[in-house]
Amino acid sequence: MADRLLKRYSYNVSANDFTAAGKGSSSIKNNLKSLGIDANIIRKIAIISYEAEINIVIHSYGGKLHCDIYENKIVIISEDTGPGIKDVDMAMREGFSTASDNIRELGFGAGMGLPNIKRYSDQLEIKSDNDGTAITVTICL
Amino acid sequence: MNFSIMFDKNKCRGCTNCMKRCPTEAIRLIDGKAFIHTSKCIHCGECVKVCPYNAYTPESIEWYDKMHDSSYKYKIAIPSTTLYGQFPRGTDICKVQNSILKLGFDYVYDASWAAELSARAIRLKIDAEKTVRPYISTNCPAAVRLIKNRYPSLMDNLILIREPMEIAAMLSRERARNKYNLKDEEIGVFYISPCPAKLLAVTNPIGDYKASVDWVIPLNTIFGELYREVIREDNMTCSYPSLSGMKWAVAGGQSKNVGLNNYIAVNGMENIIEILEEIENGKLSDIDYVETLACVNGCVGGTFNVVNPFIATGNINYISNSLEDDCMNPDIDRFEKMYESGIFHYKLKEEDSLNKLNLKEAVEKNEKIKEIYDKLPGLDCGSCGAPTCLAHAEDVYNNESQFYDCVVLKVKNKQEE
Repeated sequence: MADRLLKRYSYNVSANDFTAAGKGSSSIKNNLKSLGIDANIIRKIAIISYEAEINIVIHSYGGKLHCDIYENKIVIISEDTGPGIKDVDMAMREGFSTASDNIRELGFGAGMGLPNIKRYSDQLEIKSDNDGTAITVTICL
Repeated sequence: MNFSIMFDKNKCRGCTNCMKRCPTEAIRLIDGKAFIHTSKCIHCGECVKVCPYNAYTPESIEWYDKMHDSSYKYKIAIPSTTLYGQFPRGTDICKVQNSILKLGFDYVYDASWAAELSARAIRLKIDAEKTVRPYISTNCPAAVRLIKNRYPSLMDNLILIREPMEIAAMLSRERARNKYNLKDEEIGVFYISPCPAKLLAVTNPIGDYKASVDWVIPLNTIFGELYREVIREDNMTCSYPSLSGMKWAVAGGQSKNVGLNNYIAVNGMENIIEILEEIENGKLSDIDYVETLACVNGCVGGTFNVVNPFIATGNINYISNSLEDDCMNPDIDRFEKMYESGIFHYKLKEEDSLNKLNLKEAVEKNEKIKEIYDKLPGLDCGSCGAPTCLAHAEDVYNNESQFYDCVVLKVKNKQEE
């Protein structure tokens, strides 16, 4: 029973919309707070979902961010359509970035997105091809 | 003295200004009058500032009676750093401490002196412990309680160095004990405060210690008498605040006093909330220190001050530019010894965790609240007596208000009939 999905929160994320970037992860955070989830777990999820959301904004043509609540875990799923990640191993390295100078000037694209997601997750799965990327991050409760 | 803000029901017209301004949604309108849920209140004083009808006033402790009728054999005053910004320019600042003595105190320990000590301790901790970034300041009790209430995951970022008020109280108490051979209960420590939240910091500190301050005197309740004394004072023995410590009164002054380069100083509730959101998202971890002060311009913006925060800022800058800094802190030379003894550090008080719902129940509860919320107009007008439609939905779920308290729906319902 513990792995039954209790609730899914979903948010649309637009490409290149840096003003709205962070709204989805902010909502996720507030929903988890209202559920009374432990503060340290919320912090991990806040970082993971924020980085995932920013990745959609920077690198894709748009996508969705989901937060699935189970009794024993929380799963953040980011799905986008776009060019995909060319080299996942490289993308996992701290400081490696394919973001353009324009984006870096906005303070994004420091090459810490995926490394940070990995750092705070208990399980990370990345599926990426020419049509887009799906990232599934599990945080155990 | 557990609550610092007094509320006059007769003056309240139920205008909703305070309710909508409250950063923790602690205020509701009940029978057309504001009501503060004390468990949620962080004593920031926003309601006092925004109320157009002056329905909120600082609780005036009868400090005069407290001092004169009490069993205290020795009375210590700790004037907040903002006090110096309240006097008109040109006032002889060196007379202020003597004038406080004239009001019936036996000793003055300036908060600015203690600020020097806290600043050094903060610096040492930031330099020694690099694993936590950014550290968040802890001297503003309203900001700290905002974090506790809305950003509990950031509690680990709090620097947990005792604030100047507490340091001043500890050291002046110790001095009185040793010098006059007094017992703790024979010594009364009075803090002259610009801010209602300091009362909370005294009665219910976040740390696992008993506060050394006994009474908090709202600055505006003592200022008139004090100013008269300052004008009258002809004693030429001067006593000055520490000028760099005094800057703690103004946003950014603390960080400068600590001698930091890589810091952010943020003031005003909305601004703090934005920065805390950033930190919670994992940003700003390359910053050493975030100074968070709940009031606009810092402590000079506190509710109990007498002059406008910008004027007070100007006054404080004027004083520090026109005087030589001559730190009269009696304890500065023994700072290192004190730091090693650990008196600056404290741990957070253990809190009883609320009996938690299990996740399944919590999800169901949220779904029901959302069901109610979806039927509401989403105007966040406040007419129902809750600050937002979502807050109203929660109140309805908790049986604390009625669904048709919503004025918009009530009118619609009538029209349809």
